[in-house]
Amino acid sequence: MLVRGCAGSEFRHSLAERTKALAAKCHALRSPAHQRDQRSAERRRTKNRKSQTRWYVKQPTWRLWGEERVDGAIYTVYLKKVRYHRPTRSASSESDDEISHLEWETVRVRFVKAGTVERLVEALATDDGELESTYVNVFLATYRSFAECSRVLDLLLRRYEALAMEDVHPAAIDTSQQHRKTLVACLHVWLDTYPEDFRQLPHHPALQQLLAFTQLHLPGSELHSKVLQKLAVFSAERNGGAAGGVCLAPGMRVAAHHTCAYRLPHVPHRHFAEQLTRMDMELFKKLVPHQCLGAVWSRRDKDRSHDAATVLATVNQFNAVSFRVISTVLVEPNLRPVDRSDILAAWLDIARELRVLKNFSSLKAIISGLQSNPVYRLRKTWALLSKEKAELFEELARIFSEDNNRWAQRELLMREGTAKFADTVGENDKQLQKLLHERGSPGVSNGTIPYLGTFLTDLTMIDTAIPDTVADGLINFDKRRKEFEVLAQIKLLQGAANAYHLPTDPMFDRWFDSVIVLDDREAYQLSCQIEPPTNPPKERRPKKLNDNNNHGHRKNDSIASTSSSNSSQFYCETDGVGNAWKRDSLERRISPTRLSHGSSSSSIPSLDVSLSSANSGQKPANGKIASTSPAHPNARSGPDFYIIRVTYESDCVETEGVVLYKSIMLSNNERTPQVIRNAMLKLNLDGDPDGYTLAQVLPDKEMVLPANANVYYAVNTAYNLNFILRLRKSQQEEAIVNGKTKNKRT
Amino acid sequence: MTRPGPPSENLPTVKLVVVGDGGVGKSAITIQFFQKLFVTDYDPTIEDSYIQHTEVDGQWCILDVLDTAGQEEFSAMREQYMRKGDGFLLVYSVTDKQSFENIRHFHTQILRVKDRESYPMLVSANKVDLVHARAVSEEAGRELARALAAPYIETSAKEPPLNVDAAFHELVRIIRNHPQQEEKQRRRRKFFGRCALL
Repeated sequence: MLVRGCAGSEFRHSLAERTKALAAKCHALRSPAHQRDQRSAERRRTKNRKSQTRWYVKQPTWRLWGEERVDGAIYTVYLKKVRYHRPTRSASSESDDEISHLEWETVRVRFVKAGTVERLVEALATDDGELESTYVNVFLATYRSFAECSRVLDLLLRRYEALAMEDVHPAAIDTSQQHRKTLVACLHVWLDTYPEDFRQLPHHPALQQLLAFTQLHLPGSELHSKVLQKLAVFSAERNGGAAGGVCLAPGMRVAAHHTCAYRLPHVPHRHFAEQLTRMDMELFKKLVPHQCLGAVWSRRDKDRSHDAATVLATVNQFNAVSFRVISTVLVEPNLRPVDRSDILAAWLDIARELRVLKNFSSLKAIISGLQSNPVYRLRKTWALLSKEKAELFEELARIFSEDNNRWAQRELLMREGTAKFADTVGENDKQLQKLLHERGSPGVSNGTIPYLGTFLTDLTMIDTAIPDTVADGLINFDKRRKEFEVLAQIKLLQGAANAYHLPTDPMFDRWFDSVIVLDDREAYQLSCQIEPPTNPPKERRPKKLNDNNNHGHRKNDSIASTSSSNSSQFYCETDGVGNAWKRDSLERRISPTRLSHGSSSSSIPSLDVSLSSANSGQKPANGKIASTSPAHPNARSGPDFYIIRVTYESDCVETEGVVLYKSIMLSNNERTPQVIRNAMLKLNLDGDPDGYTLAQVLPDKEMVLPANANVYYAVNTAYNLNFILRLRKSQQEEAIVNGKTKNKRT
Repeated sequence: MTRPGPPSENLPTVKLVVVGDGGVGKSAITIQFFQKLFVTDYDPTIEDSYIQHTEVDGQWCILDVLDTAGQEEFSAMREQYMRKGDGFLLVYSVTDKQSFENIRHFHTQILRVKDRESYPMLVSANKVDLVHARAVSEEAGRELARALAAPYIETSAKEPPLNVDAAFHELVRIIRNHPQQEEKQRRRRKFFGRCALL
């Protein structure tokens, strides 16, 4: 290897880049005639253009020499012709003298192609004992897919001991020492880069083993003290970990609610984008790249949630953002279309800021949310967006086009991944051009947060396409190199993410946690309530549906409009048409209990904490008033449930003049006690449901619901669906308000 | 290969989307379909990794396969990519009952996204080589496919592969024979012209 011994992260960075370039070159070399590979190499070269300026080796030419087999390993051997430049050639010195100092050399380079674990460990050092830095990085990033930590450590330490005991020829003593030095260097890199490998609760056996080793062979060395230090850190974490959690006193939580709360669409866009980025950044920095490996992430067993925990956390956050987009757009079915399109616009403005921040994870999450069916199908709402916003949406969506193997996205990441700020727009991206022009070059530089999914797919594909072992059962190390190319990119971006400096806004977190989350079905139903589907409901279609699907296109609106049935039409509540399959658990028919919060179903995670002053209330937001018929205009074509908002009347709330509302779903056969139970659950009230009364808040009075009414039909839909839950007089003293909020994200 | 190569221009592009739970072997099917063409190392990051010129029933077309294996858990982005597909390969593993049952869910979701009552789809019962671990019978598979009004095929990506090419080709046929396709293709081509990327 040509560059040796730079230190720290610089060292690893350049390594990662060089690995890629190296791989690209080998690639082009192995099949120079193959167009596909050439293109690959070309693209990689573009990718590395920036980093290459740092090298002082220019244009090495590679030639495949062949394969070399030894016991337990196969090497690929290249002959490399290298031209050396002086590393510090200043622009002014152009004299012929300087240039004539070029040196040429042909080097024979071996790469381990495959081998046994023992051989792979040995290959951490070259034959003359130098550190194979690139190889070390690839090895440490990927070894978990073919060997346990303890096994590798064992082999490393045993090799050291063997070298130490060896009766070496005096001439070779330097080499032997060099080998040992290199092994120690490997241990350093390992401890620094993957400290998690050594955590192994509860007793950190690998670290203990390493400690014993250093005490014996390297007492007082840097490695020795590093091991001691790690041990101290781990045990401190173990002892102090439990007390670490922040516990807000109930009083503080209540106080927090009284500050203003965010409510879309009137939110500070830049701030929202920054906060989303802050959340993503924390998770992305914690991401352990090797958990993305196909062998780990694509595995579908129970251990995965542990072994790939940091990946899961990222995925969950992505979904959580998407769900928030979906739910904020849909959750108030009676919004005026123009108000709903304002919410779309707000998300687009946030997305635009995310583009500037180069946060491609939340950016894609928002685009995905907007493109999710329940939102995307709201044609009337979309039609109300301004032309600029509609263009902006298209431009942002184009970034994540799946076309050409997600080329747009890859290209963008390649260009901006480690750049300081966003500066790439397509010629057709009018809105983004305008945006970047307006912003000029910002004073602060931003990191980058990638959409992790693309890497996960690439790694899954590599894992599928390339076998783990080659002939004779040797571990296919070329596969690990390939995987490392992807891991190295992730690592680079993680390093770049340090450039973000974003404040923490606890109020944003509270808003984020408070948004109701709809599951697939609920979202679709609400969407249909907002804009009824144009296609005829399946249930009314002729029996021959299955044999006759050629007619699928036929419109049959009259059926839809005369149908007295409710929204469950989409879910194929067949009238015994023989489509029994449609009733299976996945298509879970809309049974009211499923939609109600009282059921034990965990699929309904909603919790909406919204604050509004008692007087201004929910304004005309619930546009039911507009309807000519106060009866259930939506119920005929929409879903058979409402979202109602319930508050709990207590003294403290009244004195503050603020009402805490929580949204719950009300389905068409729920009776008063059930609704009260659901409301209590949401509001975290304990006790007997019979001890409470429920009343709808009407402009001039309250309508107390009878003890066993069907609430769905009893409510007055001409007005806001706001309700008050109260204790019956006798029980008031015993009420306990438990301020703890339960909610479910994603 | 003595056959004449594909005509180089104006071939219709057919977008196939492979869907199914994680771990059902989607990626293996996709890889098996593409990899044999390339003798060299597989690289998943290249633009045309999942594009293939194919002749089906004497007609050439460009197959553009989208397989988001590894992204199953990003549930919110599923509908986004479903919107782009001309036809769908619904893959389940015969060793995994849950994946079989989830096929219906994918089916519904696709129809919903497409806002259609039928759409070109093919049900693929994968991993049939694992005879002893089989948990979903052929009968059950065929019954499901019948109920979904989609053809059924048994596949295995393990050497020697079973029906992998056949599955993709069959899906192309289904798309070609499906009504409304004409209109859509025209729309796409019109759209294609201004689809320049960044």
